[in-house]
Amino acid sequence: MAHAHSVKRHTGLMDWLTTVDHKKIGILYLIAGALFFGIGGIEALMIRWQLIKPMNDFVSAQTFNELITMHGTTMIFLGVMPLIFALMNAVVPLQIGARDVAFPFLNSLGFWTFLFGGILLNISWMMGGAPDAGWTAYTPLSTTAYSGTHGVDFYTVGLQIAGLGTLIGGINFLATVITMRAPGMTFMRMPMFTWTAFITSAIILFAFPAITVGLVLLSFDRILGANFFEVSNGGNPVLWQHIFWIFGHPEVYILILPAFGVISDVIPTFARKRLFGYSSMVFATILIAFLGFMVWAHHMFTTGMGPVANALFSISTMLIAVPTGIKIFNWLFTLWGGQIRFTSANLYASGFIPTFVMGGVTGVMLASAPADYQFHDTYFVVAHFHYVIVGGLVLGLFSGLHYWWPKMFGRVLDEKLGKIGFWFFIIGFHLTFFVQHFLGLMGMQRRIFTYLPGQGFDTLNLVSTVGALMMGVGVLVFLLNVVVTTRRPADAPNDPWEDGRTLEWSIPSPPPEYNFKQTPLVRGLDAYWKEKMAGHTEMTPAEPVGPIHMPSASILPFVMSVGIFVAGLGFMYHQYLVVGLGLIVTFVCMAIRSLYDDHGWHIDPEETTEKGVKA
Amino acid sequence: MSEHNTNQGSAVRHRHRTEGPQKHVIAFIFSIVLTLIAFAAVAAGGVNASFTIILLVVMAVLQVLVQLGYWMHLKDKGHMIPILFMAFGFFVAGTAVITALYWVWW
Repeated sequence: MAHAHSVKRHTGLMDWLTTVDHKKIGILYLIAGALFFGIGGIEALMIRWQLIKPMNDFVSAQTFNELITMHGTTMIFLGVMPLIFALMNAVVPLQIGARDVAFPFLNSLGFWTFLFGGILLNISWMMGGAPDAGWTAYTPLSTTAYSGTHGVDFYTVGLQIAGLGTLIGGINFLATVITMRAPGMTFMRMPMFTWTAFITSAIILFAFPAITVGLVLLSFDRILGANFFEVSNGGNPVLWQHIFWIFGHPEVYILILPAFGVISDVIPTFARKRLFGYSSMVFATILIAFLGFMVWAHHMFTTGMGPVANALFSISTMLIAVPTGIKIFNWLFTLWGGQIRFTSANLYASGFIPTFVMGGVTGVMLASAPADYQFHDTYFVVAHFHYVIVGGLVLGLFSGLHYWWPKMFGRVLDEKLGKIGFWFFIIGFHLTFFVQHFLGLMGMQRRIFTYLPGQGFDTLNLVSTVGALMMGVGVLVFLLNVVVTTRRPADAPNDPWEDGRTLEWSIPSPPPEYNFKQTPLVRGLDAYWKEKMAGHTEMTPAEPVGPIHMPSASILPFVMSVGIFVAGLGFMYHQYLVVGLGLIVTFVCMAIRSLYDDHGWHIDPEETTEKGVKA
Repeated sequence: MSEHNTNQGSAVRHRHRTEGPQKHVIAFIFSIVLTLIAFAAVAAGGVNASFTIILLVVMAVLQVLVQLGYWMHLKDKGHMIPILFMAFGFFVAGTAVITALYWVWW
């Protein structure tokens, strides 16, 4: 190193705790998300096992309530959202030709606050019982009058901390996409996954403040004795539902849009065609995000809002089917006439399309307010949202993981195991949830812990549980695939699928820590494909070789998150000394970060040339 | 949205106009005058209360526009994205409040 100041480079565990590299943070998100996804999955299997036969006593009613609450909360906030952030971290900077995200330090802070929020939520199992008021925590059920234990406090405080991390992450990706694009990478040349990551981040920015406010009000009601949702003192329990769903409905678009992005990147690659209707895809994505903020009350048709509100929210909800339909047809037209290769990633993507359409159709059915009086709080709703979240998002995530695994880890996942896993998962999925539509129409209510025999529920519930076990096998096969693949040499080429279209396939797998030795010049949509078609094997650089500025690693985000975690735990138990202690730790870290100028460090050109890495 | 967003990224970073201080001085004086009018309206006391409230709101809106336009540079070129995001923020918050007031609690 030619520079006067030397940089302390951590190794081992310390490297992972202090890293600000978006690729490593992506892997951390993947590990943490997979862990919580596993916990949520086990909870799901326990729910299904309890419902396998009438009058089952595998778990008690109380435990069942805790299981459904924690299954929903864990899967949404701690399972799939971090997995989305894992893909966004791993891919977005590479797709726009950037060397890192806009705020590497914040990226790390976002991850650690999310993780400690998730841990806080999950230690509730060992500290007097988990939250038990449903993932929506409707008042008055979630107030101290009906949930006397600390369960729901874990929900409010844990989600508050995890939500902080999500908000930080969202803002970071907005800034990254707006300011860090390579020369020539205009907005309308961005890959669809980057577009959806951008729009998802924007929805996070606008939707998360609502849940933040809601959780503050609920925790004030519960912990400090406020009366926001307490009718006897002039509060209004329906207010919680409004606040929750003003956040909650955009939240489901936060979840599904990145899956749309993954599918829009995977299908053109494996159909060997450019994406059909790119600009309409962008337009549809923005429109979905826009409309997503105007439909929240369709979750509350039965609360007695009156015919005007019900009618208008019905219409606005049905409108969303239009941009979504545009997307579905664009994917079909992309596949049409393409040279399709059914790799594992493309199998998941192709499975996604019909499955998601089914979820969308039941969504339109639910949007009809009169019909919703029949469907409300039955298994029909459970079937609907699992079709869009599992059949949509989770299939999209698996597709993306198979597709980008070589870029993240330098190893291509085993195709055979990938396909076996896919068939187990998708058949199991349809077995589990297709029959639940009919259970709902027959009158089986959501969230009941058991049912009487002789109502026609028995067989369908058995089928559903068998399907859930098959899905479990599918996930285990994926894990086996990861283990098997990790034992192989890391020899994936730059472009393992050979038809890679976007910038991430023009650099090594996994990329060096600075991603691009020289920032690439982008000359069109599908930048790398364009160069290939022009007969080039690599991107044209947009800058000469020079020293590369890198951000310094830092332990501060980790310590700050520990401080917030301690403060949150103290707040729940009215230990204000502990709260003060935790906040002091956090604020001291913030002061250190603000007062001490860290200018980062440089990688010299000689070092990048030695590795033989080209732009 | 697509058209004017093109190349916004580099624009935000590099565009710092080297215009003279006159406009900022005028904006500063204007801010102070707006504040003084608001203070005076309340301090005078004799004025009709509902008129005072309307006047205060108008002064506040003008003040926000001056602050955003001059001191947050939103009137300069290359600030389309912050403007779009702020407008959408107002839109989301406004939708929620107005809908809640006039549809839901009819």
